[in-house]
Amino acid sequence: MRGTSYAYAGTRLPVLADIDLDVEEGRVLAVVGPNEAGKSTLCLVAAGLAPASIGGRLTGSVVIDGDETLALKPHEAAQRCGILFQNPATQLSGTTATVWEEIAFGPRNLGLAVDEVVERVAGAMATLRIDSLAERDPNRLSGGQAQLVALASVMALRPSTLVLDEPTSQLDPSGTRLVGDALSRFAAETGTAVLIVEHKTGLVARIADEVAVLVAGRIVQRGPSSDVLGDPVLEDHGVDPPPAVRVGRAVAAAGRAADLVGLDLAALESEPTG
Amino acid sequence: MTAPAILLEGVTFDYPRGPRALDGIDLRIEVGQSVAIVGQNGSGKSTLVRQFNGLLKPTAGAVSISGRPVGSRHVAELAREVGLAFQNPDRQIFAGSVRAEVGFGPRNLGLPDAERGAAVDRAIATVGLAGDEATNPYDLGFSRRKLLALASVLAMGTPIVVLDEPTTGQDARGIDRVQRIVADLVADGRTVVAISHDMRFVAESFERVVVMRDGRIVFDGTPAEAFAQKSWPTLASTYLEPPLPARVGARLGLGATPTEAALVAALVARAGSET
Amino acid sequence: MLINTFLFPGAIDVIVRIGPLAPTWTGLGAALQATLRVAAFALSVAVFALTTPTDQLLADLERRGLGRRGVFVIGAAIGMIPRIAERASEITDSQRARGLDTEGSRWRRIRGVVPLAGPMIVSALSDVEERTMALEARAFSAPKPRTILRTLPDSAAQRTVRWIAGIGAIVLVGASIAGLVPLP
Repeated sequence: MRGTSYAYAGTRLPVLADIDLDVEEGRVLAVVGPNEAGKSTLCLVAAGLAPASIGGRLTGSVVIDGDETLALKPHEAAQRCGILFQNPATQLSGTTATVWEEIAFGPRNLGLAVDEVVERVAGAMATLRIDSLAERDPNRLSGGQAQLVALASVMALRPSTLVLDEPTSQLDPSGTRLVGDALSRFAAETGTAVLIVEHKTGLVARIADEVAVLVAGRIVQRGPSSDVLGDPVLEDHGVDPPPAVRVGRAVAAAGRAADLVGLDLAALESEPTG
Repeated sequence: MTAPAILLEGVTFDYPRGPRALDGIDLRIEVGQSVAIVGQNGSGKSTLVRQFNGLLKPTAGAVSISGRPVGSRHVAELAREVGLAFQNPDRQIFAGSVRAEVGFGPRNLGLPDAERGAAVDRAIATVGLAGDEATNPYDLGFSRRKLLALASVLAMGTPIVVLDEPTTGQDARGIDRVQRIVADLVADGRTVVAISHDMRFVAESFERVVVMRDGRIVFDGTPAEAFAQKSWPTLASTYLEPPLPARVGARLGLGATPTEAALVAALVARAGSET
Repeated sequence: MLINTFLFPGAIDVIVRIGPLAPTWTGLGAALQATLRVAAFALSVAVFALTTPTDQLLADLERRGLGRRGVFVIGAAIGMIPRIAERASEITDSQRARGLDTEGSRWRRIRGVVPLAGPMIVSALSDVEERTMALEARAFSAPKPRTILRTLPDSAAQRTVRWIAGIGAIVLVGASIAGLVPLP
């Protein structure tokens, strides 16, 4: 994205102003920021759904895989960039009897040959390690499982980029861990460029290479994830630093930083405790 | 001894088509306590809190609120004593302005106009929506709508306040505000019960943690006890994890340190005793 | 059944008199006829619904040219019914928890219409928006026809039975209209 601004249809003020952002293959860029900063809008614009599918005014340039989104039709954008939303239930079509058929929904829409459809579904399920869910009823899955199925259905279109809008916000801790683990392997294994909007900065610390901070429609900070997440100014922007950073700071403020020497707080945070 | 705010004795609840959601629950919550109810989805948390205001009536066992049995009392009547704020604000917001929405509860309870106006204003200020009284709720973002839904329950002035996932979907400022609201309610002598899966929020804002699994209570104690290392297997059995300060405390052999403050205090105390 | 038996106009062949009630044979005959018609209709629909799995029906309709939008609308509408019921009960619970009286007198309950219908409509609409985007994200609007995954087995015997049943029905109706065969 270069110099991108966007306003929703029927509104005067742009929600996003002058955004410069890029995501490379195999890398994960996380976008954090207070609520109502425009993070969801950013996802829609990045994936090409705005303005193609929902209207609105876009100025500046948004390029996916070499093509301007303004020049792409929704289904063309979908093949280049997949998008995953927060609510697992509304992303499943609700018209399929098994998870396999649900994941086949996308490739079938493209009119691909049956063998190709089968191969793509198998590939998506293997990448996300959900082969065991193939025959299950999509409506009876847990939140985390449903999100993985929705992700697989999007991946079956083989997009080069993936946008995720708070994928774990409606999940309980076990669902969050399920999706978080899948994502942390994802970019490296598939070479997909990933843009993820997330509140849970602990999760961001685990999976993101770079972090950008979006406040009131503008990018106010950007850099490697440990730099940005460790920067004290993050709290001023209304973003909660990851637990490891918070604990580190609280202990240092009391003058006991020495006690934590040798402890990798971030690793400690994600150790299993069962 | 004063009657407990909430008392469940041997409460069992079966949904009409089969699953047993609550199995022999014994729970006693005293007036003015702050209690967090945790456990994975499906452990029975939502079913449990719906017993408090009569939305669900037990299949077996008894529920008493403020010392009086619930029996077959109507929800509309119990709403005077138990305010329940739901997780999804969009499943209850219907009015055209913040003011009207917050006034819905008090109006249903039949509060006289003057009192109602004051309660509504106070509630709106408490959640940080002062200045937006005339705004259409759908012009607010999701997290502020959630605070609006909370305000509409606060305005009812119930002695018992129950919150279902109050911090889900909130950013840092929103979570801060919810924590302050809980603290203020407790300071005001009200009984606060919250369902949450934010373990840091639980450790910092509540004096008691009830852990559920498969319709039963598997742990009931202070946050320090709940997040102490010996409780970790219990937590894991319902897919919960202790917050980072507790892990650090366990690793450094400091005893129970469920919050950052507790961890810092323990480190300082240990340093003090070493000199 | 009861209405026809007891109140059929103009009938005089009374079965038995019980005070003001005077069931007639003609009335009973007409009642039986009407009931049989309704039963025949209801049974045929029920047999169809019970023996035809929705997804197979939709898959076959699509193969015969119904198009992906038609299939989706029908399938999603059916799938939505339990979800709508669930949502309605969530909304009702939320409003009752704020004191809305749904168990008291009728007049108090009428006041509940807006607080119950309002959120229903809003959530249905926002649902539509979210679902549309999810569909677009899976190339729903792509121009090529969708890949057909399977064709339902359709033997010669089944086809013959369908033809016979169809023609037979037309013949029967024609004969009945022409007065050749008295049909109920």
